[in-house]
Amino acid sequence: MTEQNIIQLRQIEKRFGKVVAVSKFDLDLRAGEFFSLLGPSGCGKTTALRMIAGFQEPTSGKIIIDGQDMDGIPANQRPTNMVFQSYAIFPHLNVGNNVAYGLRGKGISKAEIDTRVAQALEMVELGGLQSRGATELSGGQRQRVALARSLIMRPKVLLLDEPLSALDKKLREQMQFELRHLQQELGITFVMVTHDQYEAMTMSDRIGVMFEGRLVQVDAPPTLYAKPCNNEVASFIGEMNFFPAEVKAEHAESLTITTPCFGTMEIERNPNVATGGRAIEVGIRPEQLEISALEPEGYDATTQGTVRNVAFYGENVHYHVEVDGVKKPIAASVPNYFHTVDYRQGDTVWLGVQSASVIDLGQDQSKS
Amino acid sequence: MTRPSGLAIYAIAYLVFLYLPVLFLPLFSFNDGTIVAFPIKGWTLEWYRQLGGQDALIGALMNSVIVGLLAATLATSMGLFAARAYVRYRFRGKKASEGLVMLPLVIPGIIVASSMLVLFISIGIKPSLTAITLGHTFLALPFAVSILKSAFDDFDPSLEEAAYDLGSGVVETFRRVTLPIVAPGIVASLLVTFTVSFDEFVLAFFLSGSETTLPVYIWSQIRFPAKLPNTLALGSLLLLASVALLVVAEFFRRRSAKSTFGGSK
Repeated sequence: MTEQNIIQLRQIEKRFGKVVAVSKFDLDLRAGEFFSLLGPSGCGKTTALRMIAGFQEPTSGKIIIDGQDMDGIPANQRPTNMVFQSYAIFPHLNVGNNVAYGLRGKGISKAEIDTRVAQALEMVELGGLQSRGATELSGGQRQRVALARSLIMRPKVLLLDEPLSALDKKLREQMQFELRHLQQELGITFVMVTHDQYEAMTMSDRIGVMFEGRLVQVDAPPTLYAKPCNNEVASFIGEMNFFPAEVKAEHAESLTITTPCFGTMEIERNPNVATGGRAIEVGIRPEQLEISALEPEGYDATTQGTVRNVAFYGENVHYHVEVDGVKKPIAASVPNYFHTVDYRQGDTVWLGVQSASVIDLGQDQSKS
Repeated sequence: MTRPSGLAIYAIAYLVFLYLPVLFLPLFSFNDGTIVAFPIKGWTLEWYRQLGGQDALIGALMNSVIVGLLAATLATSMGLFAARAYVRYRFRGKKASEGLVMLPLVIPGIIVASSMLVLFISIGIKPSLTAITLGHTFLALPFAVSILKSAFDDFDPSLEEAAYDLGSGVVETFRRVTLPIVAPGIVASLLVTFTVSFDEFVLAFFLSGSETTLPVYIWSQIRFPAKLPNTLALGSLLLLASVALLVVAEFFRRRSAKSTFGGSK
């Protein structure tokens, strides 16, 4: 098992003076996986990445890459390479010399360097652009050059610091796909830092969610979405309606709960949260709610409310429905099937939900 | 165009009064007479021709060039490290040390000169070209630091990290990435600091031993009316050289600001 873990972080901690940037960080990365560190800005994810790269020394803890303790090993001797947020293309070198940078002065023959540069550029679809000047590149091309320059070093782990944040939306979506494809083709471990949950979910095998220096949850995107370990993760990834709930009975696999608006139902226990006691919090994703003019049939729980707000997103429409006994309006999202659903502000509507869609989020943080 | 406003007239008058006296220098250097006064008697290149034959003058010129080159090299190399530190790092006493480096710009030259003379004699450096070189390095340092700081301002720190990440050591990173990128700034700094040293009089006058620099030599010649036209010719050449150097320096400084691309386009 440990042989497959290309990176092992053991109780990593980083303090800047009194500020704790990263604390009690334990993480195992598998060889060949695409892993994302996701979190809001300032959560310490970049610091964590820079400690793996060797640009920052952990205050305490161990970093093991490919079975070797990295303590005292500087960035230029680690089997990792990094794609920087600004891409850091050397402005005084052309594309070919940028990509060849790491191979020069290492006793590699010129012919081999040329071949490897050509291959690397081919790989990022910049074939034949060796003599193009660094300042003549577009944002997307600069990113590809940065990728080629790192990958030519044949790193065991490629580190990417917000690699797509400088690109416009269209290009970003295309590069998401290409990066993922490249990673699967090469079989190299990619570790990406991002604040964009959609980016993380579309590209990664696993995601580590960070808040305030702590690694809160590590899971595959579908699990992270369906079984977030607490309120913070649930609200950071996707949208979520939160409800207080009271536990009436605990069973091995499920809980019987009552909520102010949906009444009593039996929901699945969330293995990612600690047993929450009697007062817990549950969440429902907006797209899991059925909205209709008449009471919907075949749902485990229903409630009635008034439409307060309509937000049109194109592919779907969000209705914010005010329900007695719930503080915030409940968001319900409906796919936009040629406007078959069309409610206006002030309309009285019914909401329906299956108990399988109600997520146990553990102890209610607002009451403790 | 609108009619010139009062401010524009003021600005033109200001520039005329500022630069007209300077323009008299080249004008009278072509005057065929030893008295500096209008009307101009006739035009001649005689004074320029005579310059070549004056050994003491050539000697002083060479001294100035050597002192200038040394002072420029010293000030620029020290300025390079200082500027990188000021732009890149936060450390205790940063503001204070930056202020100290810039101090020579505001202390009266005569005070610097007399205190340096006292200092050099007390530590056993006799008034000499060495003393002048050290003094000029001190005077030129603030120019080097401010020019190189602007070169480092636009320098993305992750470029050095990228080089390091790709396997370069500290020295190799400096040689293959830092140096080429700030090279235009270094050239600009060398040119400006050379000019600062080349034109400097007060310090050179105080710290001169048996050998002296060109400005001090010129000053010594001004007392002899017969030599004055020669001095004017020489002064005109120096003026031309200084302006040319500063223009080239500015060209390099702008190129250094343009050649590194940061976040914006």
